[in-house]
Amino acid sequence: MSLPIAPTPQLQMRPLDGQAGVSLARQLLLWLLLPQLVVWLAGGVASYRLASGYVNQAIDASLLQASKALARQLKPIGNGLLIDFPKAAQDILEADPSDRLLYTVSSPPGQFILGNQSLPLPENFENLPLGEPQFYSGSTPARDAHTPSPQALRIAALRLSLGDGPQPSTMLVQVARSSANREELAQKILVDMLLPMSALVLLLTLLVWAGIRAGLSPLHRLRLQVEGRAPTDLAPLQLASAPRELWSLANALNTLLAAVQSNVNTQKRFIGDAAHQLRTPLAGLKSQTEIALQSVSDPALRVRLERVHESATRSAHLVNQLLTLARAEPESLMAQDRQRFDLARMARLLTAELVPRALKLNMDLGMDEDDGAVAQPVWVEGNELLIREAVSNLIDNALYYAGDGAQITVSVHCTGRRARLCVSDNGPGIPAPERERAMERFVRGTDIGNGCGLGLAIVREIIERHGGTVSLADAIPHGLQVTLDLPLAV
Amino acid sequence: MKLLLAEDDALLADALSTQLRGAGFQVAHAPNGAVADYLLEREPQDIAVLDLGLPMLDGLSVLQKLRARQPELPVILLTARDSLNDRVAGLQAGADDYVTKPFDFPELLARLQALLRRSQRRQGMASQVGRLSLDEGARRAWVAGESIELSGREWTLLSLLVQQQGKVVTKEQIHAAWSDEAEVGGGNAIEVYVHRLRRKTDRAGVNIRTVRGIGYLLEAEAS
Repeated sequence: MSLPIAPTPQLQMRPLDGQAGVSLARQLLLWLLLPQLVVWLAGGVASYRLASGYVNQAIDASLLQASKALARQLKPIGNGLLIDFPKAAQDILEADPSDRLLYTVSSPPGQFILGNQSLPLPENFENLPLGEPQFYSGSTPARDAHTPSPQALRIAALRLSLGDGPQPSTMLVQVARSSANREELAQKILVDMLLPMSALVLLLTLLVWAGIRAGLSPLHRLRLQVEGRAPTDLAPLQLASAPRELWSLANALNTLLAAVQSNVNTQKRFIGDAAHQLRTPLAGLKSQTEIALQSVSDPALRVRLERVHESATRSAHLVNQLLTLARAEPESLMAQDRQRFDLARMARLLTAELVPRALKLNMDLGMDEDDGAVAQPVWVEGNELLIREAVSNLIDNALYYAGDGAQITVSVHCTGRRARLCVSDNGPGIPAPERERAMERFVRGTDIGNGCGLGLAIVREIIERHGGTVSLADAIPHGLQVTLDLPLAV
Repeated sequence: MKLLLAEDDALLADALSTQLRGAGFQVAHAPNGAVADYLLEREPQDIAVLDLGLPMLDGLSVLQKLRARQPELPVILLTARDSLNDRVAGLQAGADDYVTKPFDFPELLARLQALLRRSQRRQGMASQVGRLSLDEGARRAWVAGESIELSGREWTLLSLLVQQQGKVVTKEQIHAAWSDEAEVGGGNAIEVYVHRLRRKTDRAGVNIRTVRGIGYLLEAEAS
């Protein structure tokens, strides 16, 4: 027999097809910060070059001044040169031992007259314009005790005329300074500029990050709204202050939710319609066979008719059970009313209603004697009709399976924060290994009786939907005890 | 007893009519709501059985129109829908009882008889179980034609059991029925009254059963 109803739609977390892409926040951060980094690097390079340019200018100016001052100390006398170079002036020039000023005077250019170091000559020094300084880079020849290795130098060269003779000779004044100092200065300037710039970049990064977070927060709220809702809550999503882009997504989702809601409603209507469509003809079939049974005298025909009647009764029972099961599905259960009710009173009224049937079957159905004391109410919360159906199924089961003359007892009491309802009988019971299977749909404990094998499955479905548990145990001295454990209403 | 049966399913209506006639009712059958309404208005009935899902005019509307004219007529609703809302709607519209399809005919019959007994009691008519007869108007009872002496509470209890014969009368119901009858020296123990009633009706062909932890049930002894 195939399952006549759709299997329970299990709401499972299923990952989306495909892979989750890069996070939007990360992508935005990347695209906003990468250009910043490039600008920062370019700015660093540019400012380094600018700084070294200014430093060169400043050093060149000081070199020029020094060379002019040096030139003033040399006075032509006739054919010779008067060198008025006092020790004091020499000391000033060589004041800083770590950044020694190097100088050379040569005349004619190339012929060493004076100096503390022979400096490399500028290119094309013969034709250097008079009085105009030339700046260039070079290095010391490595033969000096002070400078064991070649040293990068910045050199200023000034060519001057000597005297006004008919054949005026020229002299070349060269003043140099080590480049190391100059680079140090440029680096210092660079660092001084880059530090605040880096701080600025860091600050901007933080601001951008905060901005992205703020911008994406509606997305987060939307996710929480969708994530946090019960599978049956199909109310439209509420987005009070969402950006336009999210607004359309939320609208699309709401359209989908409305469609699902309408589907659920259709299904619920179907349950009602199916009930009517199936129950009415079954009622007719049952009644017709009942009449036929009263008037038939042929024993063979009578047996056949009894079979038809039994089958009609069973079909009717099955329809009822299936409809109850459909109503206990989470989708429809949540849509129905939950109210606070007295489980003890419900059990008493239900048991009272079933007593006449038990008497007909020669069974003793009753409740735990409470010595005449006023029965204490046991308040639980839920769908009373469904829980009643569950208890009714338990008593039905006992009536089917406990056997002739059996005693069936219903009891309700509180234990701590739980309500406990027991239905016990002194019939044959269910062997322990088969108990778990007995609660599955369409599994029957025995082949006798009219059961369709849905009873315990329905009970479990209903009770678990109400946050309760169903357990089977041995009754004492023999028989089955089914216990429903439900949370008490607060 | 005149009974109106409003049921649109031909198979069920035919079977029910046959069974009800067999049980001694004069059955008028209405295949739709409009006919039911017409018959209820034109011909006096003792009881009505209404299907909720009738064509032309649904059962609830028929019931509402009927209640406007005859608030007293006992009505049983037959329905395939048994959600809480459907039940509440039916009972609010003024139905006296409610039977869900498919049902066992004996159950429907028992409910019809219970409703009729209640209706007769309202009209002060006598009810009978086995050799026990009760006159609701005079609050008197006879066993095999012989009057029996009953205290106020004994009478109330017996009357309750007879009205609901074959069904369990709960202790709650008994206490509720007794609430406006203070009886000196009686105590509160229902068991004592039941014991006395059993003694006084021991030749009446009725049996008062104790239903463990719930209450009592009166049934006619099998003859």
